[in-house]
Amino acid sequence: MLTHGEIISVLEMLKSEHLDLRTVTLGLNLLDCASDDLKRFQDKIYDRITSAGANLVAVCDQVGEKYGIPVVNKRISVSPIGVVAAPFGAEEMVSIAGTLDKAARDSGVDFLGGFSALVEKGMARGDRALIDALPQALAATERVCASINVATTRAGINMDAVMLMGKQIKAASELTADRDGIGCAKLCVFANIPEDVPFMAGAYLGVGERDTVINVGVSGPGVVKKAIDRLLADNPDADLGQITELIKRTAYKVTRAGELIGRAVAEILGVPFGVVDLSLAPTPNVGDSVGEIFQSLGLLSIGVPGSTVALAMLNDAVKKGGAFASSNVGGLSGAFIPVSEDLNISRAVEDGYLCLEKLEAMTSVCSVGLDMVAVPGETSAETIAALIADEMAIGVINKKTTAARIIPVPGKKAGERACFGGLLGESVIMHVNNAKADNPFIRRGGLIPAPIHSLTN
Amino acid sequence: MKKFIITVLGQDRPGIIAAVSKVLLELDYNIEEVSQTILQDQFSCFFIVAGPERISSAQLVKALEEGVSFNLFFQVREFEKQAGLGRERACEPFVVTTRGPDRKGLVAGITAVFAAFEVNVAQLRAVFRGGDEPLNNTMIYEVDIPSSVDQKELRRALSERARELNLEISIQHRNIFEAMNRIL
Repeated sequence: MLTHGEIISVLEMLKSEHLDLRTVTLGLNLLDCASDDLKRFQDKIYDRITSAGANLVAVCDQVGEKYGIPVVNKRISVSPIGVVAAPFGAEEMVSIAGTLDKAARDSGVDFLGGFSALVEKGMARGDRALIDALPQALAATERVCASINVATTRAGINMDAVMLMGKQIKAASELTADRDGIGCAKLCVFANIPEDVPFMAGAYLGVGERDTVINVGVSGPGVVKKAIDRLLADNPDADLGQITELIKRTAYKVTRAGELIGRAVAEILGVPFGVVDLSLAPTPNVGDSVGEIFQSLGLLSIGVPGSTVALAMLNDAVKKGGAFASSNVGGLSGAFIPVSEDLNISRAVEDGYLCLEKLEAMTSVCSVGLDMVAVPGETSAETIAALIADEMAIGVINKKTTAARIIPVPGKKAGERACFGGLLGESVIMHVNNAKADNPFIRRGGLIPAPIHSLTN
Repeated sequence: MKKFIITVLGQDRPGIIAAVSKVLLELDYNIEEVSQTILQDQFSCFFIVAGPERISSAQLVKALEEGVSFNLFFQVREFEKQAGLGRERACEPFVVTTRGPDRKGLVAGITAVFAAFEVNVAQLRAVFRGGDEPLNNTMIYEVDIPSSVDQKELRRALSERARELNLEISIQHRNIFEAMNRIL
């Protein structure tokens, strides 16, 4: 028999704490669709995606209803197109992005990830074509997400790729200038990208993965915040040891829900279950924010002194609770602090409590990185590349994933607003030091070698 | 060997179970199952006992009335396990919860829908403290829904009834509560 408290606590999480399963992502291996005939290749990938993805949305809705926990986003990730479509040039890559967009739309998913290339050590022909195609591909499609891995702890940092990404981000922003540079919101630059991320824009299916797999991303910042609020209402003198224990237990509950639903979806679809990504992923809604947790913990706002240690504590407790709750943990698994996607974080920027440098410091203790950061339109490609390179260094040296999703907003200055809409949210444009100036260091290019601690064998 | 189901009702106080079980022991009865609860300040308890053939249900009531001095109500019925409706069918366990302002007819309204769909109620806890605070007025049904039932149709009927009764309703598979609350 269930207890009254067990039932009521689950209902409260659903009714007033925004508990949901943030994403169920179907990973599809497209490697066997390879062809050097563009039409043939496009037909094959379209058929593969739309046939495998045909029931994804309906099954997620059915399972969500059965357990009373909604699956908010249903998505598809595919093998890195830079590899699968290696024979093609940039123009053909743009056309392939169009095919992916149509397949995503016809499958009913809001985003499809995997317009990706892995170039941490060097760029193959297909990778280069894909990167060259990025601005137009992102401008011409709605649902296609791109990710480029430019660094790993084992390979070092490919600074030629970093510089190229600075230029392409500028170009993508200019091609979508009428929507505040939204093209860049669908593009992540990574260090140490995991092969099984279910979250966008970084989702792709690694080449070491199976034909099909279901990966899920749990959420629950609202649940964690409310649990802390309740603890402190009952015991105002609770210390941080007690609070981390509570966060751990709460993360356990949230993760168990995600794993149960993910496995049920996988079973109905006849697809193997992959991993649960234990990330506190916010949305631009009040009560569903990672930033609000900082205030519950007693900080004036995310960004003030104490924020980095608070985030480190939060992130670690979430991982410990989640790791115990799930048999397979993967993906990014850490708190996200995306500026425009979290109402409270974007307000902290507006109120002057959170600057770019503090945000960067915080990314050294969580996932993912400089995420959904709007910067002035005048920021040079070199400065964007330099911001990326700094973030990559944090990942490479600390043997963790970091990413940069930076959006130069054409025609707008620091302090003005950028609006991306929907889940992508809106934000005040952050001030960037030395935004327009020359940066010969970054322009030198080449490969920054792997750090000494990569030699682990 | 005879089996009886014994109902005990009355004002709650310490010592009731001790007194009842002492009488049963002296008459050589074995207690097979007990369920006891307190509603407001009223004690209620069911015993299933097995024991000597020679004692009738009326004699057992008399022995309990004489042996237990707390002014309780006893009812005893001879009990045989029957193939009951809803026990052998393939079912899935769900938890149906309602919250909303108190009024007459809430239990009757919701359970009528269950009955129409042959959904068996395995556990029911309902608290109505009055007023409009939803948490003060909850019904929690643990039910077994036969696999043959069209769940969409059942959900539709329950949601419609809840709307008529001004209740919020949720219908969730029991596994989610176990997964989130229990380690084993």
